Amino acid sequence: METRRKKLIWVSPWGYTEGWLLCAGLLITGLLLQLTIGGLSSGALSWPINIIFATTFTVALVIGWVFFKKNNMINWLSRVPAAITSIVFVTFLVLIMGFTLQVDSENPVWVQKLGLSNMTNSWPFLFGIVFFLAALGMATLKRITPFKGRNIGFFLNHAGLYIAILAGIAGAPDLKRLTMELHHDSIVWVSMDRQGHLYEMPLAMQLVSFNMEEYNPKVAIIESRTGRIVPEGLKDIFEISKGNVGSILDWQVEVKEFYSLSGRFGERFEPVMDWGAAPAALMKVTDPDGNITEGWITCGSFMYPHQLLELDDNLSLAMTIPQASHYSSDVIIYTEDGDVIETRIEVNKPVSAQGWKLYQYSYDDRFGRYSSTSIIEAIRDPWLPVVYTGIFMLIAGSVYLMTLGKAPENQEGDLS
Amino acid sequence: MMPINPFSFTLAAMILWAVGMFFFMIAGEKRSLKVLAHSSYLTGIAVLVVFMWLLWDILERPPMRTLGETRLWYAMFLPVIGYATYLRWDYKWILHYSGFVAIVFLSINLIYPDNYDRDLMPALQSVWFIPHVIVYIFAYALLAASAIVAVKGLLIHFFNWKMSWNMQLADNLVYLGLGFLTLGLLFGALWGKEAWGHYWMWDPKETWAFLTWIGYLAYIHFRYHKPKMEQTAMWILAIAFIILLIAWFGVNYLPSAANSVHTYSS
Repeated sequence: METRRKKLIWVSPWGYTEGWLLCAGLLITGLLLQLTIGGLSSGALSWPINIIFATTFTVALVIGWVFFKKNNMINWLSRVPAAITSIVFVTFLVLIMGFTLQVDSENPVWVQKLGLSNMTNSWPFLFGIVFFLAALGMATLKRITPFKGRNIGFFLNHAGLYIAILAGIAGAPDLKRLTMELHHDSIVWVSMDRQGHLYEMPLAMQLVSFNMEEYNPKVAIIESRTGRIVPEGLKDIFEISKGNVGSILDWQVEVKEFYSLSGRFGERFEPVMDWGAAPAALMKVTDPDGNITEGWITCGSFMYPHQLLELDDNLSLAMTIPQASHYSSDVIIYTEDGDVIETRIEVNKPVSAQGWKLYQYSYDDRFGRYSSTSIIEAIRDPWLPVVYTGIFMLIAGSVYLMTLGKAPENQEGDLS
Repeated sequence: MMPINPFSFTLAAMILWAVGMFFFMIAGEKRSLKVLAHSSYLTGIAVLVVFMWLLWDILERPPMRTLGETRLWYAMFLPVIGYATYLRWDYKWILHYSGFVAIVFLSINLIYPDNYDRDLMPALQSVWFIPHVIVYIFAYALLAASAIVAVKGLLIHFFNWKMSWNMQLADNLVYLGLGFLTLGLLFGALWGKEAWGHYWMWDPKETWAFLTWIGYLAYIHFRYHKPKMEQTAMWILAIAFIILLIAWFGVNYLPSAANSVHTYSS
């Protein structure tokens, strides 16, 4: 049995007290650095400095464990008190982050000065992660020397996390996220970062067509003057499709006809495929007294105005603007290697070329489906394979974690 | 414009669970009542499963887009976990607890009925959407069960109830729950790379998901190191679950989440 006795701090073996003191020291040092020399710039540790740091850090942990495992600090780092205090330290910082909008300009000056609104580029966060990784790395080394088969689950979880976090943090400055604005029939090889700097790309792209499919619009009751949807009717909104019926507030609403693309011909609408064509529906509305009103509604487009069906002095029936169900760009990619690739870039289906991954990012939403502009995001993340190695180790490790519960450790059947 | 009535399905599931729980309570050793209890409880789950299946079919998308839809999954998984835990380890109380919480969640859906529509933004149309959400909600349900074990333990201690107590159930649920939570998190990372271009962006939801994850990590390490300090461990569990709730739906209301890609649509 353990007996509780007063232990002097900084005397072997270190425990929780030393951990908390270390956290306090790291926090104070970090905040002082933050106040005096400011936060870390996100690009400062780009290749090859980051690979040198990451390797040196890992080698230092290995040397520390192999040659100095009797050292108070090294020994302590490999045990649970260091794990828990570093977890709490990181949790504390991330908790602040969780409650603070991570945009400098939206926060008071003191929050900005302390780096709390840009936490991931702050000194305390860096120190917290380094402490966390040191404990994680040391614990892994302790458990795998000598390596035993039954420690495989432990290894997958701990080493996987170490690899994923170290590569994620070290690789962040090498992550390139650039946008390319494509227009019909012009070839673009220049991209732009978030700050507006321009870069020449090792590939060029040409937009052949921008495609969009939309869900059917919905029918709602709005205040005629403000255009606002009547909140009590919000839950009754329903999809416009020929034959659909529903009741909104006290009105019975029926869709008599619906064209997803149409043009106006006098008082009525007919299906057309023209540039700027908008959806339109013929609606039949019955009020509580049985009076019937019929008329066309449309949400309009950049070319055509919208049209409401008046119900009474205040309220009208309106069509909502349809939501995109799919959008994509058909492009031709010309690479530096001389390849010409005709392909489609779609949301959730990026395309790889010349070491870059190309994503459907945006379009000119003023024109919606008729947009002649498509914005493609080009992303390069050379550290991704390393991070993924860590992630897949963790996935395997989490399955191991699920099996842990079955082991009934010293249970005497006194479960309630 | 729903060809089915969500209200009646929801209500039917709730009543069946309540009836099942009632029979479990009074059954004692009576075989016929036990059969009634089991069948009523299971039918409740079945009704909800059928409802969600129909909903999926009608909406032509997985019913996982709105907060109310995620509550449906939660209300389905929780009794499943409660029932499995009961069969496996014979804890009857967890059956009642999970039935009760599922009923509470479905009541919220009855009071604030969802406006089910088919729209699903393109970024959500991914093979990862379903595993990400299901694995997460399943983890939430397991960890909710572990939280209630902790709360019960704390109450026993606080009021000096004469009940034997043991943390093994909480541990088992956390191991399982954290396993699923980790999978959910990592599936989210892999999906994020395909849809938004990066696996981790410290989006407010991600920040809170990380906090939830690391909270349970703290619990496991603390249990490993100080198995005798059960009370502290139970407090960690209770706090971790509060963080989980913030991650699940609190984030929708946090000002720090104004720009999140993870807010539920309504």
